[in-house]
Amino acid sequence: MAGLLLSPSEKVYILHGIEDDFRSDGRSNIDYRPMELETDVVSHASGSARLRLANTDILVGVKTEIDVPKPDKPNQGKIDFFVDCSANATPEFEGRGGEQLANNISNLMQRAYHSEQAFDLKQLSIFEGKQCWKLYVDILILECGGNLCDAVSLAVKAALFNTRIPFVKAALLDGGNVDLQLSDDPYDSKLLEVGTAPLLVTLCKIGEKCVVDPSAEEESCSVISLVVGVTGNPKCYCSNEDASKLHEHISKCSTIAMNGPGSVAPQTLTNAIKQGINAAKYLDEALGKALLRERQDITNFVKHSYGFFK
Amino acid sequence: MPLDYRRFNGPEDSVSYRRFTEDYTKDYKQFLDELIDENGRRKGGREMDEARTLCMFFARTGMISQAKGSSYIELKRTKVACSVFDPREIVHQNEYSTLGQLYCEVKFAPFSCRGERKALVPDSDERALSVALKKALEPAVCRHLFPNYQIDIFIYILENDGACLPAAINAAGLALSDAAVPMYDIITASSVAISGDKIFVDPTDDEEQLAIRNHDGVNHGVITMSMLPELQQVSDYRQIGSMDADCVLNALSILEKECKKIVPYVQRVLVQNAINSFEQQKKLEEEAKEREEALNAKMEVWKSILNVG
Repeated sequence: MAGLLLSPSEKVYILHGIEDDFRSDGRSNIDYRPMELETDVVSHASGSARLRLANTDILVGVKTEIDVPKPDKPNQGKIDFFVDCSANATPEFEGRGGEQLANNISNLMQRAYHSEQAFDLKQLSIFEGKQCWKLYVDILILECGGNLCDAVSLAVKAALFNTRIPFVKAALLDGGNVDLQLSDDPYDSKLLEVGTAPLLVTLCKIGEKCVVDPSAEEESCSVISLVVGVTGNPKCYCSNEDASKLHEHISKCSTIAMNGPGSVAPQTLTNAIKQGINAAKYLDEALGKALLRERQDITNFVKHSYGFFK
Repeated sequence: MPLDYRRFNGPEDSVSYRRFTEDYTKDYKQFLDELIDENGRRKGGREMDEARTLCMFFARTGMISQAKGSSYIELKRTKVACSVFDPREIVHQNEYSTLGQLYCEVKFAPFSCRGERKALVPDSDERALSVALKKALEPAVCRHLFPNYQIDIFIYILENDGACLPAAINAAGLALSDAAVPMYDIITASSVAISGDKIFVDPTDDEEQLAIRNHDGVNHGVITMSMLPELQQVSDYRQIGSMDADCVLNALSILEKECKKIVPYVQRVLVQNAINSFEQQKKLEEEAKEREEALNAKMEVWKSILNVG
């Protein structure tokens, strides 16, 4: 990653450690670093989340807006990803420096969320062919400490889980135009179904082995990394009673991409894809648990009404 | 977005009339039936696993005279032209780069796609294709041989009937070797479109559209892979859609075979290219010799005239 200098001997040290399944910070090749996740951190956004994965810091805000659906998909809403690499992360991101990286990540997210099986855009429809919700997912990279793709996908999923869309109270048809009246009460809103939203897992090829969650130092030892987007299990994102009603879930790959200037042998690619799907499954379960706990805390907080209309 | 004022644009909220035609309202089943006939063959008479390259591979190098190297590939109705220019020094570069850079630009011709006319400014499709092309080509080129220089690769898609990224990669591989850019290996690419249990090798535009649609939660998607076949290395692999692991691995092995199948065709074009340039050189040398002989003969004549004088 940007602006990091490593001597050849440091690189050899990292490489040899990974050969023996032992990384410089004490993890094994399939371990993630501890992460911190907060939701509902930005008051002006419909949904937001902040994720800190060791030194990587990501802030995601979701804004909603009413838009006209695409003519060829009249019953679907829209979702758009914007990545902004803050110059706080590294001076190299100043000006247009981070543009390429930002484009890369937003393209990757767009592709991962493209399939209906990954994220159902039908839930964003308001009035078929006339109006739909458009979600603007703004991703701010505050600090980079390696493994941006994974951290971004986790934060985005958490922010979408946290997103509230106001209910439509009334709709007036005036000629061909629809006039909507939205509920003013922030609690009178629906939540999105994001159980199937994909998580990205980066597998960094260092030496002969692939590691998950590479740190910035490890990333600079590698010429190629593979990003696997795996759809989530909706069972992990709802209460136990609801979960029993759902069908058995099979995780599917919603995108696969390669980053970096190198190339890999087909056999390595096969192994990495399998490893990625496995890792995503555990990550998804952990994220689901954390988010449900957080939501529980919020719902315990009851809304108080004041005034003589009570 | 800048509008093109030289042509009639129509009101802003107008939609293409195609949306109201029967073609557009077809459901999944009808679409599938139309693409595959009762014998399991695809529209156009191909087998499911038959690439267009095998029935008609129309490729050549030396298309564009002002470029250092160029190529043209035609897969039935997908037509791609590529030009590669000499390495040149990178201007406004802050730091010295030890590896040479590749600059790739993919452009659709305004008339290349069905439906909307493509605008002159690059849209997101074109930018994504440029990035994909760069990723695919980088491992194939010996970039350490031209530090701080960049090679420009321009792809112009004249007609798009599916599989334009693999066609672009194949064309760029040919053009790079035509331009005598040092490379580790030939680069070939292929793609598959998956919809349920149907796997379309080298899909057409219709088949790609079908594969992108979700139907009843079955596997669907499009996968493109590029390979350095002799070195057994995958230089790029990208997937869109949603499919389970078995399906991905199955597609991977199919793509690996397909990429290898293209190699002899590429080799034939390259050998033909070498023979042509060799012959041309021979012809030029012969012509030069003839001219010199003629000149010498004339010299003799002049000498004799002078001597007489």
